[in-house]
Order: sequence, then structure tokens, then C-alpha cells
Amino acid sequence: MNTTLVGRPTFAQNLSAALAEVRLRILNISRYPGQLMMDILIPIIFAAMPMLMGRASGGADAAANFQANTGTANYAAYLLIGASAFSIVLTSLGITANWLRFEQETGTLEAIYLTPTSSATLAAGGALYSFIRGLTSAIPAYLLGCLVFGVNPLEGNILLALAFVLAGLIPLFGVSLLFGAVVLRVKESNSLVNLMQWVVGFLMGLFFPVAALPPFVKAVALLFPPTWMTNGVRSALLGVGFFFGEWYLDMAVLWAFTFFAPLAGYRLFHRVEQGLQRNEGLGQF
Amino acid sequence: MTTDQATLTGFSAWLDSLWAMSRKELTIMARYPVEFVASFAQVFIITLALTLAGLMFARGGVQQAGNAGSSTAGLVVYGFILFMFLSDTLWTIGYNVRREQKQGTLEQLYLSPASKFASLLSRVTVTLTWTSLMSVGAAAMMSAMIGRLPFENLPLGIFILIMALSGTFGVGFAFAAITLRIKEAGQTLANVIQFAFMVVCAPFFPFSALPGWMQNISRAVPLAYGVDAFRSTLMGYPRGFPELAPIGVEVVVVTIFGLAMPLLGYWLYRREEDVARRKGSLSEY
Repeated sequence: MNTTLVGRPTFAQNLSAALAEVRLRILNISRYPGQLMMDILIPIIFAAMPMLMGRASGGADAAANFQANTGTANYAAYLLIGASAFSIVLTSLGITANWLRFEQETGTLEAIYLTPTSSATLAAGGALYSFIRGLTSAIPAYLLGCLVFGVNPLEGNILLALAFVLAGLIPLFGVSLLFGAVVLRVKESNSLVNLMQWVVGFLMGLFFPVAALPPFVKAVALLFPPTWMTNGVRSALLGVGFFFGEWYLDMAVLWAFTFFAPLAGYRLFHRVEQGLQRNEGLGQF
Repeated sequence: MTTDQATLTGFSAWLDSLWAMSRKELTIMARYPVEFVASFAQVFIITLALTLAGLMFARGGVQQAGNAGSSTAGLVVYGFILFMFLSDTLWTIGYNVRREQKQGTLEQLYLSPASKFASLLSRVTVTLTWTSLMSVGAAAMMSAMIGRLPFENLPLGIFILIMALSGTFGVGFAFAAITLRIKEAGQTLANVIQFAFMVVCAPFFPFSALPGWMQNISRAVPLAYGVDAFRSTLMGYPRGFPELAPIGVEVVVVTIFGLAMPLLGYWLYRREEDVARRKGSLSEY
């Protein structure tokens, strides 16, 4: 008779579990093609709102005023980049938060914590899925938006812009774990998560440069990895200017976030998790 | 003990049940103060982000905050207020029907003798009160950031607002009917309609900012006349406003919309409800 030894899962087993999580989620979302279409359309509509409002209020000087305030007259691309980056951030933060909330509500969170697969493995699978979904909606949204607003999407240093996006994804995982910790702790958290998503959108300069914010708020904004990602992409494509003047200095900051943000996020998440496990909080919602 | 038939029927019974159901909604709302505060803060963050975005198109950028023309302020602020009210009336009824389906209480609700109309109406009564408070706060903040708010023809403005809201109640009933039929896909449809409304009904920008072919689509949507008439009236009809039709025509369109749409929407809802009951699909989701 064969026996199976249960112990700590190996790296290959963890990887397999994380990939299974990705597959499960892709299979699930593929059943809602309307939602996938909305993921592409929403950033375009988000960008269109201030664009149409600004065009109407700024009149013939709209582009010149925009250039004086942001560093580029190409407001369509500027706003589309902000809205597309925001959609990546929303997807990443929303997926982790909604996953935990869903498991809480359906009563399966306790059971998940009893399996040999760690929550970190499942969260990593969710993060990988959110990166795939974020990129597969943000990039088509930007390209389609450029087509709609008559802007050349291939302007600027595209490879550098992509490098900033990819470098920004890993610290985003850390931020999404912070969100997860909030969901575990606060429980009835839908509005709070929505609010936090908008706060991040506001701080990352969704529609405006962070230089327009008051000094204290600007300092807080610079602590958010998505702020560096968005500005890096805008600078690479539109030349609005890197925070430290050179692309490699901004990239270095983003890499520093890459190392610290996931560690900090996981540490906090793990602490909240342990606190709840000790105090009968996992099964409650 | 017997219950007098008169206490279960008639207008006073209807009012009693509406009051009781609204109190239930208010009690649920009050039990989640975090949600309550977060939803309020979210409106302010969105308002702030949109306002800052608009200022990027103004000469002097954020330094010009508070100095924009009163027409620009009126256009954006009144559009935003209407957008908040309309979002509530349009989606809340459908979402609540969906929530009852998910919680498994819809079937039981339909076995009670309470008025179905009051049940639907109570879903938005509390939300509308809350939205009124948020609108005043958001309007004050936007007015401080953009410029002085014009405040003309108040009685007609209120009449147009009431008719537009009444019409959207009707659309809300119709949407609830669709939700009974298409279930989970209703949420995606709600997003699609909400974003379409943001573009076609132009709550954040003048209709002149839309391309000609899209303005023609706007002219086919009664709600667009509501947005145009409401803000043009409160702005005192500056040159170029109203944009879609003369104000007399717009008021007639909005009045017909406000009177006919609730009847049509409720008829559709009752029809779908009967179909669902006959098929035994009320509690399916």
C-alpha cells in the first residue's frame, strides 16, 4: 500500500498551487466576457471625463494650459496613461481584497487556513492573475483610447515605459497585501476598499501631476509605488520629467520598493492573520 | 386576536409599510459606520480628483482654484449633483433585488402581503436622503475649488430635478426587472449603462464637447434633457444654454419622462416578477 506523507509543501508544490489558482480565476472570468470588455472600456471613459471637461473649460488654450501645468500638451495620452495605470492598480488591490472578503462571506476562509497550502501561496497566485488581467486590460485600453482620441500610441520610449510598468507590479503586490490585512481586520469593508482604491488613485496622480498637491500630501504620494510607476511611464512616453531627473534614478526607487513593499505587506498581513487565528476571528464576518 | 382588514390595505397602510421598510434600511446602514463614513469620503476624493483634473486645463493651474467663471462652476457642480442622484435612483433598486436573491429572502418577501411598490421605493429613500447631504457637501467643496456657484430660477430647477429623479426611478424599476431575468450579468449591464450615461448625458462637461454624431444620440435620451435643463436653469441660461433644445421643449420632455417612466418601469417589473414566480426562479441566482 502506498502512503502519502503530509509535511511542508515543496517549492514545486507551492508553485503548482499558485498556478492552479491563476488557472481557476482565468477560467472563472472567461465566463464573463462582458466584464472583460468593461475592463478595457472603463479606463477610456475615465480619461474622457476630465478631457471633455477640460476642453470645454480651457477652450482654444486647453492644450497650452495643460502643457504649462503638466509638461505635455498631449493631454489625451497623459490622461489615458493615468487611467490605464489606475486600472492596473484597481485590479491588483481589488482582487486580493475581494478574494478574502468572498472567502469570509462564503465561510471558506477558515477551511483554507487548515490546508497545507499557505495563504501566501494563494495570494501570490491571485497577484499573478491580477498582473495578467491588469496588463491585458490596461494595454488594450491605452491603445484603443489612443485610437479613439487620435493620438499616436507609439510615441516615446515604449520599452522603458513597459519596464516601469513591470517594475511597478511587484511592489503593487505588497500594497495589495496591506489591503488584504485591512479586509481581514475590518471585515465589512467594501466601501473602505473602494475608498482606499480612490485614495491610491488620487495619490498616484491619476489625472494630474503630484506636483500639484500640497507638500505634505505630495510626500505621502511619493511613498506609494504606483506614483513612481505612473510618472515613469508618462515620462518615458511623453517626456514630462522624471522625479529625480534621470530614468535610472526613478527606476532605482521603484526597485527599492520591489524589495521592501512585498516584505512589509506580507509581514503586516501575516501578523493580522495570526491575530485573527488566535482570537477566533477567521470564521467571523 | 384579529387584524382589521383596513389596517392592511389603503394609502395609510402603504405609507406605514414604506416607513417600516425605510427604517429597516436605515437601521442596516447605521450598523456599518465605517461603510457610512467611507462612502462619504469617497465622494470627496472623486470630486477632488476631477476638480484638480479640470484645473490642469486652466491658465495658472491649481493657483487658479476658486477663480474659474461661474458658468464653469455651475456646469460641473450641478452636473455632478445630478449624477450622484441619478446613480442612486438608477442602480440601487436593482442591486437590492439582487441582494435579496443572494441572501435567499426574495421569495419570502413575495409571500408577505406588504406592498411591492413600497418595498422597491424604500430601497432608495434612505440613500436619497444621504445623497442629498453628500451633494451639499460636495457642491460646497467644488464651489470653493472651482468658483462661485450660480443660483438662479430655483423653483424650476427643483421641479426639473424632481421630474428627472422620478423618471430615473422608472428606469430603476426597469433595471430591477432586467436583474430578475439576467441575474449576475445585471451588474455588468449596470456598469455599462452608468458609463454610457457619463458620456451621453454629459454630467461633467457641456454637450458641445461631444462630437456631432454623439450629440444626436444624446438628443434621443430623455435623461440628457434633464441634465441640460437642470444646470442651464440654475445657471440662469447663459449664452449657448440649454444646448439640446429650447428650455420649453426640454421641460416638456423631462416632465413626460418623469410621469410616464415610473409607470412603464413598474409595469415591466411586475411582468418580470410574474414570469419569475411562474417559472419558480425568484430565489435562483
